[in-house]
Amino acid sequence: MNRKRTFLFGLLASLSVFTSGCWSERQLNEIAMVAAIGIDRTEAGQYEASYQFFNPANIAGGLQGGGGGQSPPVSVYTATGDTIMEVHGNMSRKISREPYYSHTNLVVVSEELAQKDGIGPVLEAFDRGSQFRVTTAVVIAREVKAKDLITTLTALDKVPSQKIMQTLESTEKAMGENINIDLEEIITALVSPGREPMISGFTVKGDPKEGAKQESLQATDLPMTVEANGNAIFKNGKLAGWIDGADARAVLWILDRIQSTTVTTEWEGRKDGISYRLARQKTNVSAEMKNGKPHISVHVHMEGDIGEVIVPVNLKDPKTLEKIERDVGEEVKRNIESSLHYTQKIKADIFGFGEVFHRDEPAEWKKIEKKWEDEIFPNLDVDVTVESYIRRTGLRNNSYLSEMKNK
Amino acid sequence: MENAKISPRQLFVLIILFQLGSSLLIPVGLTAKQDAWLAVLGGMVGGLLLFLLYYKVGSYYPGLVPTEYMAKIWGPFFGKIFAFLYVLYLFYLAARVLRDYGEMLVIFAYPETPLFIVNLLWMVLVVYTVRKGIETLARTGEILFVVVSILALTSLLLLVLNGSIDTKNLQPVLEEGPVTLIKAIGESVFFPFGEIVVFTMIYPYLNQLKKAKRVGLYALLFSGFVLSVTMAVNLSVLGFSLLSRSNFPLLSTIQTINVAEFLERLDVFFMIGVVIGGFFKITIFFYVAVMGATSLFKVKESSHLVFPLGFITLFLSVGIASNFSEHIQEGLDIVPLYLHLPFQVIFPLLLLVSVVLKNRKKQKKQLAMK
Amino acid sequence: MSPFFKGKKNADQNKPVDPMPGAITSSLQDNLAWVKQKFGNSPDIIIRELKIGSSKVKAAVIYVQGLVDNQLLNDFLIESLMQYDSSSQDETRTQMLDNLSDLVIPMGGVKEETEWSKLFESLLVGATLIIIDGTDKALTVASTQGGESRSISEPTTQNVIRGSRESFTENLSTNISMVRRIIRTPDLWVESMKIGTQTNTNVSIMYLNNVVDHDVVKEVKKRLKRIKIDSILESGYIEQLIEDQPASPFPQIYHTERPDVIAGNLLEGRVAIFVNGTPFVLLVPVVFIQFFQTPDDYYFRFDIASATRLLRIFIFFISLIGPAAYIAATTYHQEMIPTHLLLIIAAQRESVPFPAVIEALIMELAFEVLREAGLRLPKAIGSTVSIVGGLVIGQAAVQAGIVSPPMVIVVAITAIASFATPSFAVAISVRLLRFAFMGLAAAFGFFGIIVGLIMLTVHLCGLRSFGVPYMAPLGPYRPVESGDTVIRAPWWAAKKRPGLFSPNNVKREAGSQMPAPPQPRTIKSESTEKGNQNES
Repeated sequence: MNRKRTFLFGLLASLSVFTSGCWSERQLNEIAMVAAIGIDRTEAGQYEASYQFFNPANIAGGLQGGGGGQSPPVSVYTATGDTIMEVHGNMSRKISREPYYSHTNLVVVSEELAQKDGIGPVLEAFDRGSQFRVTTAVVIAREVKAKDLITTLTALDKVPSQKIMQTLESTEKAMGENINIDLEEIITALVSPGREPMISGFTVKGDPKEGAKQESLQATDLPMTVEANGNAIFKNGKLAGWIDGADARAVLWILDRIQSTTVTTEWEGRKDGISYRLARQKTNVSAEMKNGKPHISVHVHMEGDIGEVIVPVNLKDPKTLEKIERDVGEEVKRNIESSLHYTQKIKADIFGFGEVFHRDEPAEWKKIEKKWEDEIFPNLDVDVTVESYIRRTGLRNNSYLSEMKNK
Repeated sequence: MENAKISPRQLFVLIILFQLGSSLLIPVGLTAKQDAWLAVLGGMVGGLLLFLLYYKVGSYYPGLVPTEYMAKIWGPFFGKIFAFLYVLYLFYLAARVLRDYGEMLVIFAYPETPLFIVNLLWMVLVVYTVRKGIETLARTGEILFVVVSILALTSLLLLVLNGSIDTKNLQPVLEEGPVTLIKAIGESVFFPFGEIVVFTMIYPYLNQLKKAKRVGLYALLFSGFVLSVTMAVNLSVLGFSLLSRSNFPLLSTIQTINVAEFLERLDVFFMIGVVIGGFFKITIFFYVAVMGATSLFKVKESSHLVFPLGFITLFLSVGIASNFSEHIQEGLDIVPLYLHLPFQVIFPLLLLVSVVLKNRKKQKKQLAMK
Repeated sequence: MSPFFKGKKNADQNKPVDPMPGAITSSLQDNLAWVKQKFGNSPDIIIRELKIGSSKVKAAVIYVQGLVDNQLLNDFLIESLMQYDSSSQDETRTQMLDNLSDLVIPMGGVKEETEWSKLFESLLVGATLIIIDGTDKALTVASTQGGESRSISEPTTQNVIRGSRESFTENLSTNISMVRRIIRTPDLWVESMKIGTQTNTNVSIMYLNNVVDHDVVKEVKKRLKRIKIDSILESGYIEQLIEDQPASPFPQIYHTERPDVIAGNLLEGRVAIFVNGTPFVLLVPVVFIQFFQTPDDYYFRFDIASATRLLRIFIFFISLIGPAAYIAATTYHQEMIPTHLLLIIAAQRESVPFPAVIEALIMELAFEVLREAGLRLPKAIGSTVSIVGGLVIGQAAVQAGIVSPPMVIVVAITAIASFATPSFAVAISVRLLRFAFMGLAAAFGFFGIIVGLIMLTVHLCGLRSFGVPYMAPLGPYRPVESGDTVIRAPWWAAKKRPGLFSPNNVKREAGSQMPAPPQPRTIKSESTEKGNQNES
């Protein structure tokens, strides 16, 4: 009896293994790994999605004799459809393998699509599918088609999508003028009543047609380059405007995302006379009710070094340093106020002030939640204070320039 | 009842693994929004009270399982009927949890595989374990508890290193007011804490019966604390809106880990932890159900029942709902009110009342005799 | 003599082919004829007929050629018999026998016997029989045992970097004496019995009487006595006949050829089973973690020993699920592999005509074949096999595009890992289970592997070895005073024996013995003496 049972059990166990028939199995040579997806809008209002597929043999090189050189590291296929799933279906007519999205780390949405249809509907399928990672980055193709960004080959990084990813990361770190935001953060901002998303823009300088050819990589100075270019501001899920340069940096400042950047300030009439290299900063945003009106205070605390001086200045004098500190603080404050002014004009709360208010004054928030975006935020009183410190002046104290001038 | 003994430590570990099982998978107390972690703590207090209730009833009949003492309290006929209902309840829960875990795997990793096949593999594992008996299960628990702890601590450490924990997401506290919080607490009392009712079938195996109360209380406190921390971590990483949209928040939380561009894509951590948790949850439900059936129908060897009942549970798990949303919705709307409430609260209360009355009568009689 | 042996003797007597009575008769001729008949005139049974000294009484010396030490036999036994000068002519033959035993034979182990079965038994282990005409008794001289046997050499299966270089031999008494030389206490008890109706193999159990759990001794004896088999050729027979759960790939009895390992384990309260004819001695009860320990763990410093032990557990998992994890990751969970690594693997797999699982099976099988071939071949050819195998698998198969290089790496790492497992018995069961895991991985990916691992844990937790849970002291958790589990505590901290095997006598060493520098820490000159006192 017992033996029969054991046998039965073993039979069942092996059945469950062998009959499973490997339903969900995907052999590596049956899938096409998608590196990036670019989504454009056709005339008819359909999605036109360009998939950038990895070409493993040309990236990995290795045993097969360091292939790489001959054919491009990625291939791009384009398909259209009313929904992303339909695009996915149509794509299967063009490629022999099943698109596989787990290693997709970039989604490019064209400016036109973001303006006309909004970004919300595009991202739903990516959020739902189990293959897609929530950490996938999203950028907006500015002034060019999303497809152009997807097809342009790049030099140092073999895979164009990786180049965009890494550019985004390094520029946010070094300059703080572009935001590296992923799918999950965008969706959270889209659904939150007290915040709107801001997404980095990328553009292609030069002729995109040239850039899609492998030969273009033969030159040392590439005929076209992919560059970060400003940030798109959204309102109600639709692109409402662009914010660039120092203004964009100010947004990141309020979001407390600045890691390092350079602030230049005027000195004795000379524009950009002194460059201040930020080492660390901490920004606190708090909200309260003042005189029955919502009030936001932004407090920036920053520390840094002198990075460059192009005017003679006595850096040994603490009084001078104090003045530079003050000037730098003023500069940052001006930046922040300018970007505030701009966003209040387009009524897009990309700073998440609404969320701060929600946290700090939950009872009041309930009352004003509905009219925050359109009535409260544009007329919000924001109090900016900047506290800046110069800790060191680099390897030198006074610049050699001051000695040259003295002669 | 099989002839086996487990130590207080083993019981402690089993209760914790059982409690954490599906509650790590399925978020608890979301009615309270960002205060879900508070709701869990509140639910734990409720769970402690329920536990004391079960303990009190059980203490009148040490060494007997509920299906046995029900017959003693309410007479063979009514007692048997209630015991039968109780066993059905246990089977239903076993099937429910099996469904939860099968669905999790299908959604998360095996979209093309039929649910039945995934559940079949689960059931093979569970049947094998139940045939080995409670002692083996308890020992396995001791070993896998260490594995789960290591996983949990590593994940927590990585999340902290990663900087994904943002406590701002937990504010504002008590936004929705105390009423909502109490409602959320009410939900989390039944699931997961009230499910400790199944352990009334396991206490008799304890080799130091005196310690049952202390072990149960400590285990509930500990698991409540861990669950609350997990909820707080999930909330602070994901924020309420994303969490409430996620079918499996813990998975989303773990997916955010990316330390040094190297320690990323740790989905397998989630998988190991959840499969271990699911294993204990399903196995304990199923084991208890089988033991209940064994004692109810006076079957000599429980192992005779394991196979057929395993098949029934397997088919039940596939058949109880036509899709995942229906399954979850049943779990939120129907099960607490129509199943958990009677079996976790009302019946035990009735049992307690009857048994107290009975004892008083007996005492009176004894007094009268004297 | 054990009751078990008595039982066996009765069985012999019942055989109908024996026309002769079981006891010796007083006629020398009859006796010798009986011996010849019983052994079928085998030429290695030497019957030396002689007359005892001056009395001219006819006698015979019987021994088995090769089992006795010829020098001893000639110089001491035969010579003294021949030179025996009977003091009185009228002594009876029985008295003569006594005198021979008491006065003449200058050797130990002389015994009077009457029953044939016992006589034959001692004859066959190398004793010499002396039969004198006219008595119905005979003498056995056990100490003529000798002949050729392998000398003590270095162990071949359990090499250590530090520690004794002795290993057991095929000779039971040598083996027992080797342990006696290490543990010199009268509490080291040995009990003997014979198993095998044809081979009459000597089997001895050994334990420390004041440490061992006597229930385990009783159980061991009970199980040994239950064995009814014609032959025991190696301790493996016994192992398979007395283990708790035959339907398990895992060894539930430890075997070793090192006396120091036996000594160490006896001191922890285990029971050793020695079997004549094999250098492998069995140890019961065991726990799973024991198969990850090596003798030098205890000889090296504890921190290094603990680290290597953790490494071995890691190795165990690699050799168990290495290829399975590769299959699962590349066919189900590509999202878990970092992008660039996945691209490399994908590029290599591009031209491979098989699914990953088939590829893995081919490689694993090829490897198993190579290993088996290398094991059985003479050493000289063995290296040729490994060269050919290495070329075929490593080079040609990859270049031909039949397998991908990452798979070769995985299989090679797994193979090395399985060689690094200290216990061959565990390594070989892991080899078997690896294929099961590959199947699970091919069908269910990581879910299959995890389910397999849980099932394995359940299986291991369900095992017992002579009443001791196999996964103890981890599951059930027992506080381990000896500190000897996945790590090894330093000796000065291991104050007690593991209570699992010796519940009665757990104290192992005196109080605090943690070495410490002398206080106060001053320079050598004045403090050396104080320092020495502190350490005592």
